[in-house]
Amino acid sequence: MQEEIFVSGRNIPNIDPSLEVWHWPISVYLFLGGLAAGLLFFASLITIMGKDKEYPAAVKFASIVSPIALTLGLLALFYDLTHKLYFWRLYTTIRIESPMSWGAWALLVITPLSFLWVISYYSELFPKFKLNYKFLDNLENFLKKHRKNMAYALLPLSIILGIYTGILLSAFNARPLWNNPILGPLFLISGLSTGAATIILLAKSAKEKHLFSKIDLMLIVIELGLIVHMIMGMYAGSEVQLEAMQLLIGGEFTLMFFGFVIILGLIVPGIMELLELRGFKIPVAVPAILILIGGLVLRFVMVEAGQITRYLY
Amino acid sequence: MVIDTLKCVGCSDCVVACQTENNVPIGYCRDWITETVNGAYPNIELELKSERCNHCENAPCVRCCPTGASHQLDSGIVLVTHDECIGCGACIESCPYDARYQHPDGYVDKCTFCHHRTEKGELPACVSVCPTKCMYFGDLDNPNSEVSKLLKNRKHKTLAPEAGTKPHVYYLI
Repeated sequence: MQEEIFVSGRNIPNIDPSLEVWHWPISVYLFLGGLAAGLLFFASLITIMGKDKEYPAAVKFASIVSPIALTLGLLALFYDLTHKLYFWRLYTTIRIESPMSWGAWALLVITPLSFLWVISYYSELFPKFKLNYKFLDNLENFLKKHRKNMAYALLPLSIILGIYTGILLSAFNARPLWNNPILGPLFLISGLSTGAATIILLAKSAKEKHLFSKIDLMLIVIELGLIVHMIMGMYAGSEVQLEAMQLLIGGEFTLMFFGFVIILGLIVPGIMELLELRGFKIPVAVPAILILIGGLVLRFVMVEAGQITRYLY
Repeated sequence: MVIDTLKCVGCSDCVVACQTENNVPIGYCRDWITETVNGAYPNIELELKSERCNHCENAPCVRCCPTGASHQLDSGIVLVTHDECIGCGACIESCPYDARYQHPDGYVDKCTFCHHRTEKGELPACVSVCPTKCMYFGDLDNPNSEVSKLLKNRKHKTLAPEAGTKPHVYYLI
């Protein structure tokens, strides 16, 4: 039996008794970043495949969401910094070993690109708000011509953004729950799934809804597989990992994780989408909203449970 | 740094000395005392020790810092440049010892091994005040230094070596 008692000094706010340095803005950002990555991935993929006329929601309507999500996400990140006025220091250096550094650089490129993408569709998206400035029209025409080039840049960038939200956490070997390599792919797939759900919500034609329901169904199956992988890997891990897993399997985050992420966020919408594709009349908005909520709760659970786990010594 | 857990009485003088020397804000500290009880009654063993930043050789905080504010000197000491720190908290998350904290002014702060004193050849504040002289500070690269000799002759351990950080605070047991 081992017992450790802190007798003095360790009354540091946000560190004792458990670490709470990263608050809700980080979870919200990880969700919005993943969502934007998913939306940009599908928009650029469909543009590269030359099917942008057939799937207007994916390339046009849903693309309004990505710059909004990225802007809100960046504001959330900025809000959680404690030495805010020095944020520009991120852009005076590139540190290959720090995921946060290359994430910051990726965001610096991908955020303006997401705005330019929307501008390239400006007259189609907002036909009633025509701005009579010549240079804006020129810009739109110029971007329209280079939309495919933007798509070629956005495709790899969106994958980097999606994976980075997971790698950001898995790079911290001090937090055993985060320190597993599945987190990168898991957050990427979850981000793509929330992106597909948003496209389903905004799509008008049944053809587009069905295509993204199929894609989403596939992503749900992959995500469930990755979660099983993560839990199995942790169970085969060291003592610190076993203890970290207890938070999800039989601890304070069990209800959130199994209830909202796995059952309501993955299995239930998966079954509903499957039934809908088989011809049952189910409003597709329901599974789409459940997936979005599940994605958000997944980020909250991972960020908050991860900060409780630590090395035992 | 070498700390003799058999000599430490857990008086917290090192904690107070550090807070005074480094103007650590009230409610924060860069070093602390832990009291560990091992075994089952009646065969129990008490271990007291003073903990702080381990100035790891493979420092995860330096690796995770996105701006390079956390850096390692040639002597192995890990420091934070306040003007480069954005307060993102990545280093705090990456530290297995929870040795860092966010200063009320925003930047991240931690033990510096009293770099401003050791530069002048003085001992860190915690080492200089220890009433039982259980702490030793010196150059581990020099085989004739007091710390090297202690590690050669005494049984010792480091904290959470399985984290792979190669910590540089050694505890004699």
